[in-house]
Amino acid sequence: MNTFGSLPRWGKRAAGVATIMAVAIGLGACSSAADDNKPAASGDKSDVLLVQGIRSLSNSYHANWAAGGDLFGESVGKKVIVLSDEADSQKQLSLVKGLAAKGQVYALNIDPNTSSDTEAIVRTVTEAGGYVVTQWNKPDDLNPWDIGDHWVAHIGFDGTGIGKDVSQTLFDSMGGEGGIIALQGILDNKPAKQRFAGLQEALKANPGITLLDDQTANWSRTEALSVTQTLLAKHGDKVKGVWAANDEMALGALEALKAAGLAGKVPIIGFDAVPQALDEIKSGTNKYVATVSTDPWWQGGAALSLAYKAATGEIDVSKLSHDQRAFYAEQSIVTKDNVEKYTKAPTLEALKPDLDDPFKRFSAAIN
Amino acid sequence: MTDTVLEVRNLRKEFRGVVALDDISFELRRHEVVGLIGENGAGKSTLLKVLSGIYKPDGGEILREGKKVTFRTAAESAAAGIGMVHQEQSLVTSISVAENIFLGVEGAGVAAGVYRWGTLRKLAQDQLDKIGSPISPKTRVEHLTFAERQMVELAKALSVEERADSEPVIVLDEPTSVLEGDELEVLFDQIDRLRKFASIVFVSHRLDEVLRVSDRVYVFKDGQCVAVRDRSEVDVDELHRLMVGRESTAEFYHEAKQTAVIGEPVLMEVSNLGKTKAFEDVNFTLRAGEVVGITGVLGSGREELSRVLFGAEGFDQGSITLGGKTVGLRSPVEAVRAGIGYIPAERRIEGIAQGLSVQENIFLADPSTVSAGPFLKPRAAAAAADEWIRKLKIKTPNRGTNISNLSGGNQQKAVLAKWLTSPKLKVLILDHPTRGLDVGAKEDVYGFIRELCARGIGVILLADTLEETIALSHTILVMRDGRVQQTFDAHPGNKPRPVDLVEGMV
Amino acid sequence: MSQSGPQVADSPATGTPSRASSPTPPDPTAPSGFARVRGLIGGGGPAVALVVLIAFFSIATPNFFSVSNASSLLSQLSILLVISIGLTFVILLGSLDLSVEGVMASSSLVFVLLAANDRNDLSLGFVALIAGVLTGSLFGLLNGVLHVYLKVPSFMVTLGTGAIGVGLATVLFGGRAPRLMDDGLRGLGFGNVGIFPKLALIAILVLIVALLVQKFTRVGRYGYAIGGDEPVVRLSGVNVERYKVLSFVLAGTGSGIAGVMAAMQLGVGDVSIGAGFQFTAITAVVLGGTALVGGIGGVGKTLVGAAIITVLANGLILLGVNPYVQISVQGLVIVVAVVATGWSLRKRVRAIK
Repeated sequence: MNTFGSLPRWGKRAAGVATIMAVAIGLGACSSAADDNKPAASGDKSDVLLVQGIRSLSNSYHANWAAGGDLFGESVGKKVIVLSDEADSQKQLSLVKGLAAKGQVYALNIDPNTSSDTEAIVRTVTEAGGYVVTQWNKPDDLNPWDIGDHWVAHIGFDGTGIGKDVSQTLFDSMGGEGGIIALQGILDNKPAKQRFAGLQEALKANPGITLLDDQTANWSRTEALSVTQTLLAKHGDKVKGVWAANDEMALGALEALKAAGLAGKVPIIGFDAVPQALDEIKSGTNKYVATVSTDPWWQGGAALSLAYKAATGEIDVSKLSHDQRAFYAEQSIVTKDNVEKYTKAPTLEALKPDLDDPFKRFSAAIN
Repeated sequence: MTDTVLEVRNLRKEFRGVVALDDISFELRRHEVVGLIGENGAGKSTLLKVLSGIYKPDGGEILREGKKVTFRTAAESAAAGIGMVHQEQSLVTSISVAENIFLGVEGAGVAAGVYRWGTLRKLAQDQLDKIGSPISPKTRVEHLTFAERQMVELAKALSVEERADSEPVIVLDEPTSVLEGDELEVLFDQIDRLRKFASIVFVSHRLDEVLRVSDRVYVFKDGQCVAVRDRSEVDVDELHRLMVGRESTAEFYHEAKQTAVIGEPVLMEVSNLGKTKAFEDVNFTLRAGEVVGITGVLGSGREELSRVLFGAEGFDQGSITLGGKTVGLRSPVEAVRAGIGYIPAERRIEGIAQGLSVQENIFLADPSTVSAGPFLKPRAAAAAADEWIRKLKIKTPNRGTNISNLSGGNQQKAVLAKWLTSPKLKVLILDHPTRGLDVGAKEDVYGFIRELCARGIGVILLADTLEETIALSHTILVMRDGRVQQTFDAHPGNKPRPVDLVEGMV
Repeated sequence: MSQSGPQVADSPATGTPSRASSPTPPDPTAPSGFARVRGLIGGGGPAVALVVLIAFFSIATPNFFSVSNASSLLSQLSILLVISIGLTFVILLGSLDLSVEGVMASSSLVFVLLAANDRNDLSLGFVALIAGVLTGSLFGLLNGVLHVYLKVPSFMVTLGTGAIGVGLATVLFGGRAPRLMDDGLRGLGFGNVGIFPKLALIAILVLIVALLVQKFTRVGRYGYAIGGDEPVVRLSGVNVERYKVLSFVLAGTGSGIAGVMAAMQLGVGDVSIGAGFQFTAITAVVLGGTALVGGIGGVGKTLVGAAIITVLANGLILLGVNPYVQISVQGLVIVVAVVATGWSLRKRVRAIK
């Protein structure tokens, strides 16, 4: 589950009504697409189609993802097709099914809308003889090797380790002492749990820091504002730091701090590296000390490269280890020192080593 | 100024080829009360709806104070000084009396889009004063009794006077169907008061009342006006004959079909039954085929008793046995399981399921006869529904018609059918089963009650009139202040007189 | 609402022989101030619940009754209250408006993008504010027209227009939340006047206007009548359609104002700015005592409902209740409230008999 921005969660709601109507159309499209699903694996391996599956170009995270893919396309001299599903699972699946009609072997790098969409997507790709790398969402008990060689790999991001590290950044900015309040994401949500687990590990290592309170603000900026207001009323000036499980909530908390005259005095951290958080980190006036980036350019470029290498046969999927086929990728802490790197696209030159070796940012096996 | 305030000439109205009004002519003179009677479907309601601008006539003309008029909307009719008191009460219960009286025509009560509450209430008070009603214009209608609401309706109808330049015409559509005893007297007093400055059309099913208040009576039958009579030259029996085309006698109540029930098995036994603040110490037995009539004025406890007997309310003293077994009757579901059916007085609220078809309503209580396990057998259900529609003479286009579109009498028959389809039915509680029905429909219902008895079903009856109670019952309980004051044996040949019952009631 | 306005002293119809006793003492002495307030917010249930909650949290937590918490409570109440007030007009009709979150999203973005912001060079000041509010009114108009003239159930229509609202907002959003750079406008949503957050002052203004609309205009009065018995109102010659549409416009305007308020408070226009408010606002309205069937309730009662929800959310955090448990407690309160309103409604139906 990706917590980037509010768009995915929101668009889904918006698309809900459209889906009711789209189901009928979508089903029709599915059945006709199924007829065209002749395996194209025998196709020309030098003529592989490059495809990105994202939510929407209007969301900066996915726009950066697509830009990373374009860099890879540039490196192999090909155009990249972008499928944007506007957070509609039905639409996402029918777009993937539609790829079969191109009659080419394709390499797909996709961010499935939800975990439950993943299996249908990878099976569709397998039937069509394409190659797919999935990111973020997959069911825990389903792995690429269960399906076959056409599901090349799944890349996830573990919030626990980086959560611990970024929490440490917060604690350091507090001088290792004082109370903090924590704003959690939707409680049952996997990244929310991992990130909070990271915080708890960091707390163990920092006896000078106390967790005054932890509350959920459901990933929402608006809710974070009112929860923070209440927590400030409750704990007063004992609050020396604010930890939020995403940047949206951190930015909401920042508004509460501003209203209480505490902005710039109480440091804040978040996750996801949304543009406004990066701006805050760059300016530094409000003591927004850090966020975490998965590096969308890398996600778009390196993962597409992995799918492409499998499609062309440069990588023999059957020879990859299970660790390589389901792994957590490295994430980075963004602070004032390195923020420039995350506010604009890397050059092809800078990204090249990651494109050549898609496993370069391997951090840990998922299983 | 002419002496005819409202005249209808050769009025004709058809609904998809069915003639509802056939060449009707009708005249209302100044300060006159004209009675209008007829069975369901005779055309009374259609005429009223034409007069109030809801229907457009297909032919003929309407003259108001000698001038030809056409009403395209209810508001235009009101502007011409015709005020309606509808059969279904037409007050909005969620707003105040004052707002209801002037709903949509606030006049000086709303200036520049802003409510002037003082003015509005004053204007409403003026209308209420016309009929000498003590109701406060500020009261929300939901807090009023039916009788009080009727008074507000009257005041609302009278308010047309303020907007028209002529004296008002007041149309009372079945104003007495929900009133009892004293309340009726109040209404009649009002009519006497009104005729000093208004002309009145009085529509009712109760012929004696029509005769009592009207100067002349128009009799409608099958869309035609079959007779006009001065009060002095006609009696109830003749009106009845004119209206239905047959004699009114004891036959009306099917008394000949009433059989003795002494020695029949006891279906239900009620002993020392009581409910705090409602009634206490009620005892009676109900035998197979017996009708037990319960009478009493509003507040005597009989309504609560009937609800308790159906499990809609709990009781806290005494016991009820059914077929020898003690039953708790904690809910209507339990009552239905035990074989008790209930037909409430407020059909619109409790009796019918609005929006469902006639067929669905018929099988609502117990679909078991037309089901296989949990599944309805559509063909069997359809055939059975048609059978009931035929048997009960329910006037409906077909079994799939939405029940809301049927007239009151036909809805009532469908509700009866709903209980009759249940083979488990042992006891049927009828709460004002003929309320608001016309004579013909009443007669059908009476016949029906006899048929139930012949099948060995016991009936507990809360009737509309004393005559009805006496004619239909084998045993009559007279209640007052929550207690049974007297019990009468009313087997054929041993009927008490109404006056005997009244003694126990007041 | 088991209790009714102060002027009513009648017993249920099943009580004593009715005609004999005069129904209502004709206008006793002028109602006291207390009685007036009670008439407005409705006595009994919800008001008592609110007082009990406040008393409980004041005793159970040291900070509840503090100036800083009072001001934080008021600021948290403000936006919810404005949305709920708008919704009240629609729920009084017996209809529903599910477009709140979409409308808030659109109006917040329209507002921010027309005011000084970090996306474009526009800086229309108060015109932007009015445009943001009107965006909500227009959505309300669309809701009303589609519902009333195309006769589509209101919850379907508003679900659809809500999605349109989110869609429009997504286009305007364009990948990152535009920031509000107009310090004057920002200042309206920010900071206090005394202990009163400025947002709360806006909400109080909206409340007063809404109370006046409800009491003194046709749209306010007819709303009750239409919700009570639409066919009768229609027969009275009232243009029912017009007043229904206007009620939806009021609701949309409420959401529009709320969207602008939220944008002023957060300093951004955002697609998710109304997240979670839809359900909470409906709950607030029903909790206050406005029945979903229509005809019963009012803006004053909604104030109580919204206050209960806000106090509960705030108090549970102050108590330090585990976040997992908080959700259950809030759910429980809602169920109890709905059952309680249903209960008094049951009595009402009986009283009609």
